[in-house]
Amino acid sequence: MMLSRIADSLFWIGRYMERADNTARILDVNYHMLLEQPPDTYKLRWDPLIAITGERTRFYQRFEEANAQTAFDYLGYSADNPNSIAQCIILARENARTIRDRISRELWEDINGLYHKINKLRDEGEGLSRFCDAVKRGGHRFHGVCEATLARDDGWHFLQAGSAIERAEMTARILDVHYHQLVEGPAILNEARSHAWVAVLKSVAAYEFYKRQNMHIEPMRVAELLLLDQRHPRSVRFNLGILQNSLYAISGSVPGSYANEAERLTGRVHERLTYDSIEEIFAAGLHDYLEEMQAACRNIGAHIAQTYLYYSVTA
Amino acid sequence: MWEEARLSSAIAAAAGIRSLFEGYDPGTFYDEIIGPDGLPRPECVAMHDILAGMPLDVFEERRQLADLSYLVQGITFTVYSDGRGTERLFPFDLVPRIIPRNEWNVIERGLAQRVMALNLYLQDIYGKQRILRDKIIPRSLVQSCKHFRREMMNLSVSRDIYVHIAGIDLVRDSRTGEYLVLEDNVRSPSGISYVLENRLVMRRTFARAFESSEVLPVDHYPAELVQILRSLSPRTGERPVIVLLTPGLYNSAYFEHCFLAQEMGIELVEGRDLVVVDDVVYMKTIHGLTRVDVIYRRVDDDFLDPLAFRADSLVGVPGLMNAYRAGNIALANAVGTGVADDKAIYAYVPEFIRYYLGEEPVLRNAETFLCSDPVQLKYVLEHLPELVVKAVGESGGYGMLMGPSADKKTIEEFRDRLIADPRNYIAQPVIPLSRCPSFDAASGTMSPRHVDLRPYCLYDGEKVTIVPGGLTRVALQKGSLVVNSSQGGGSKDTWVLRGNEI
Repeated sequence: MMLSRIADSLFWIGRYMERADNTARILDVNYHMLLEQPPDTYKLRWDPLIAITGERTRFYQRFEEANAQTAFDYLGYSADNPNSIAQCIILARENARTIRDRISRELWEDINGLYHKINKLRDEGEGLSRFCDAVKRGGHRFHGVCEATLARDDGWHFLQAGSAIERAEMTARILDVHYHQLVEGPAILNEARSHAWVAVLKSVAAYEFYKRQNMHIEPMRVAELLLLDQRHPRSVRFNLGILQNSLYAISGSVPGSYANEAERLTGRVHERLTYDSIEEIFAAGLHDYLEEMQAACRNIGAHIAQTYLYYSVTA
Repeated sequence: MWEEARLSSAIAAAAGIRSLFEGYDPGTFYDEIIGPDGLPRPECVAMHDILAGMPLDVFEERRQLADLSYLVQGITFTVYSDGRGTERLFPFDLVPRIIPRNEWNVIERGLAQRVMALNLYLQDIYGKQRILRDKIIPRSLVQSCKHFRREMMNLSVSRDIYVHIAGIDLVRDSRTGEYLVLEDNVRSPSGISYVLENRLVMRRTFARAFESSEVLPVDHYPAELVQILRSLSPRTGERPVIVLLTPGLYNSAYFEHCFLAQEMGIELVEGRDLVVVDDVVYMKTIHGLTRVDVIYRRVDDDFLDPLAFRADSLVGVPGLMNAYRAGNIALANAVGTGVADDKAIYAYVPEFIRYYLGEEPVLRNAETFLCSDPVQLKYVLEHLPELVVKAVGESGGYGMLMGPSADKKTIEEFRDRLIADPRNYIAQPVIPLSRCPSFDAASGTMSPRHVDLRPYCLYDGEKVTIVPGGLTRVALQKGSLVVNSSQGGGSKDTWVLRGNEI
């Protein structure tokens, strides 16, 4: 027995924690990569980050240019940005607080601890690097505490679903934005290209894994890993697989069937990611493909809400 | 005992440690730990010695550990004055309040008697109204009570229990050493979670003191409560579905709601999780609607059902009263219990005990003047600077005048209010509350601070169960007599010692 409201909170705890973690990753990797780049490229290299988080409009209403400081301000702490890392952690904590009787004490204390930690870092004026580090560690600990302390009931699957859908969407977006910049961007970036692809890989913790299988950094192979890899926990396909399993566990459907629209859409996207080849995808246009993936994620999220969380009751 | 106390102080002195009790002066008030001879009371010696022999830095370290444990668990309340929503801890003082067993036995008898009488009174008021016909209490006083609910007349409640949970505030009068009842809370009293959490923290912080003091446990409270809730279910034969109804995250007692729901293993719900279909209450789950049998509600009557009471309530459940009337749902506490804890009705509770039980009250009321009575009102108006005036329907230290410390302007404001609406006020002489040593961070030593006591009583229709001790609230500001958390109060762990009897 699980209240819809509680399932909703768990789903969003999964999403917000993942969003905070991903944002910290891209911020951190970008910052470190740029430390070795010529200063001219700065401006050009912070803008994509803002684009990845879908916050360009609001950002440029506030700041004239994207640089390390403004990007950190806005993506790190800003209360005006509903997707800033601090806001995500606040919302994850609020959600956890409303259902703390339904999660392990360890999980609540962990999320609450992360909240107090980032407040402390802000009050101490700590820089981007230490801040992102704390958030990334927080993200890892979060998954660890969930894995080690939560029962595998429906609640667990809503949390998994939220986290998987967010991660899939984020990875697709990271790839999309960087691909634009790197393939179509200004010539000044030429020499930095391979550096930048390394940064992309690092921001999804896939650099080591990639290097084990490929000698050189090639955009197509990077895209293949991020999109289609079956083993890497941040690839789009991997996460659609997790999502599909969780949805099956919640409804009791068996593989090869579906009980609702969310499951049907998830199954279809997962099939495509399983059987499409990267060569076919490039031939048809990577950008369109990524757009489609992101739209599918949004759509699936909406159907999960309709099916389980916000259905109407006629009294 | 006496020798030991001297000894530990002597050891401390020899080690060059300044005792936390150095210069402690109990003054003219009754002190809960230190006797009139300046030495710890017999039951307090063990704890006193541990504290007296503890260097300041060790004590400070434990104090910070305790604070940290509240912070980590998120047992905080939010202050919005700085725009960002700062979270503060409810101050917790590490010095426990210790009650000897023989005193506790008296308190327990007195509270049980009181809770029984309050229930009989509510049954009567919402039924035959014998007590009104017998003119024990004026009909007008009862019917003018803001919390009297006409909707409850002749409505039968599950097992005839109105008050399942009561929190009754006691104070000790320094002049006589006697415990007096200051206030009854029989709507939805809060604070029990602090009793349980304070104990948890104390056990971790002062494990050694527990070894030597034989403190009675408190952690069976949730199990006792859930057993009562279970017994109320209108559906027999089925495993009852019990929920705790909370107003939500922004309620100041939200932590407690979560805590109790979790401890009792019941669902924590908000109004929006519940729906009434054909006079049956359901909750919305991911797999459809599930029937609910018992609601432990922490939402006030006014907000419970927007169709029956306040239409603007967003935290209630439309149609809940119909389901209640149809006997399809049990509520704890019952609707309308506020007609028993109104501060003017309070003055009559000793009469209820005599009328319904044929017994003399074990615990006396504090002397109280009813402003609704012209003679008493006249006295109150003439003596405002010496009295405490309270609005009858308020709690939490709101709507209150502390005569001795109030300025002229405030006193005159209250005079006008009293004349305009006398039914709404009572007055009491200022009671010199007893004090308990409490840590004063500014001086780094123990200082006496005023305390009260709120024990929690559970009634199952036959007997009253009381968790030994309860919540000791302490006015942490020097000289203050106001212990409410909203007014700068803190809390302490409360120990009832096993003593000689079992």
